[in-house]
Amino acid sequence: MIRLTDLGKTYGSKTALAPISVTFAEHSFTCIVGKSGCGKTTLLRLLAGLEEKTTGSMEGLPRRIAPVFQEPRLMPWLTVAQNIAFAARHDPTLWGGDVPDSHSAKSVENQPKVRSLLQKLGLEHDGGLYPAQLSGGMAQRVSLGRTLFYGPDLILMDEPFSALDYFTRRNLQHMLLQLFNAEKKTILFVTHDVEEALLLGDRIVVLDGTGLKADRPIPLPRPRKATDPAFQALRQEMLEILSGGED
Amino acid sequence: MAKRIGQGLLLPVLGLAAWYAVARLQLFSPYLLPGPGAVWEALGELWRGGTLVHHLAISLQRVFAGFLLSAVTAIPLGIVCGRSRLFYTYCWFLLEFFRHVPPLAAIPLIILWAGIGELSKLVIIFWACFFPLFLNTISGIRGCDPKWVEVGRSLDFTEGQIIRQIQLPAALDSIVTGLQLSLGYSWRALIGAELIAASAGIGYLILDAEEMSRPDIVIVGILCIGVVGTLLDWIFLLLVKHFLPWRGTKEALHDPTH
Repeated sequence: MIRLTDLGKTYGSKTALAPISVTFAEHSFTCIVGKSGCGKTTLLRLLAGLEEKTTGSMEGLPRRIAPVFQEPRLMPWLTVAQNIAFAARHDPTLWGGDVPDSHSAKSVENQPKVRSLLQKLGLEHDGGLYPAQLSGGMAQRVSLGRTLFYGPDLILMDEPFSALDYFTRRNLQHMLLQLFNAEKKTILFVTHDVEEALLLGDRIVVLDGTGLKADRPIPLPRPRKATDPAFQALRQEMLEILSGGED
Repeated sequence: MAKRIGQGLLLPVLGLAAWYAVARLQLFSPYLLPGPGAVWEALGELWRGGTLVHHLAISLQRVFAGFLLSAVTAIPLGIVCGRSRLFYTYCWFLLEFFRHVPPLAAIPLIILWAGIGELSKLVIIFWACFFPLFLNTISGIRGCDPKWVEVGRSLDFTEGQIIRQIQLPAALDSIVTGLQLSLGYSWRALIGAELIAASAGIGYLILDAEEMSRPDIVIVGILCIGVVGTLLDWIFLLLVKHFLPWRGTKEALHDPTH
């Protein structure tokens, strides 16, 4: 269980995240929604250790935490396969016993763990491509692959699909749910899209400039449909909360 | 490819024809402008006697020595200055000063301090090569997207690993440009270096021909510098293409329907 108590961040006099207290269960998929500037990204950056907190505490954080950023942030000098296995350059134990002969593009592409990830992500024929040759959706899948290769217990996803077109986005949402069901990682998924949050999460947390505004379980069975009346009712409720109505 | 080579050769061929015509019509004295025939004969003479190869080998040796020395000093120093603003602040005035002084201006002092042997030539070539490489390395390191560094930090990379695995590869594009510029500069500084009491080298060949009133050999020397410099640049680019295959992939966008 991850427990955040009065966790907050300010830059000088500017509040980036108003203090919040919230817990996240292991192997849960929590979506965090809120308007721009409410501190969603700051929260993830604090959890990832990329920012120092100003107030509060974080307990129960697992050892391995990895973010998936809004932009894929792939290394342009590495192939798809090499980007996926990037973390092994720091920690060779991540190869899982099958250490390749070298970090060359071919050796890495044929490494069993990389091969299996390429397959799961639908990139089995693209392991040798460079980032500049990828579409936005492919690049984001590689970015997700890099995080999965690292094997984190907690994945922090910051609007990872927001720059993608509708169909690519739907495909990746579907793929993410399959991976979540198979790997059972704890996922915190930030989005500004309520529908995306309701399609994916077990729970939805709403932030605003003053802190935690709402925290609801999503009691709908998967796969969910946006046309389902229960889904629409929940979406309406969330939109009202977001637009400033009473919780 | 063949078309592009043809297009590139068009102007040199036209220039050669004009040169030939001017020489043939004897518009200038052959002493001022020897014709292509005379230059070709001088080239044959120097080639057959092995003189040209000897001078070229000596010059190439000097160029590579100066170039390598600048590479092993400018790249590490550029990395340190690129990462540490404080270090750069201490060094910048001195570096800016030397960057703006052409090595040829310091030849009398270089001779005084380093003698007239190989060392003085090495110093001049090194001086000419150092700055383009150093400045490109700094700009490459500083130009590394902080978001990539953040990826490294989020995957628990150490500072050393961030330099080796992220900042250095990210700066390679810029370092390669610096290396290419340096190679060109070293070749250009060669004549300056060989002005110093040299007894061999293409620069010496040209100066000696000047004293012997052989403008045909002077032109052979100039042509050699141009052709060998172009060849070196071409070989360098081939090596870059082989070792840095991602360069140039930006244009090769993937089929969007994939």
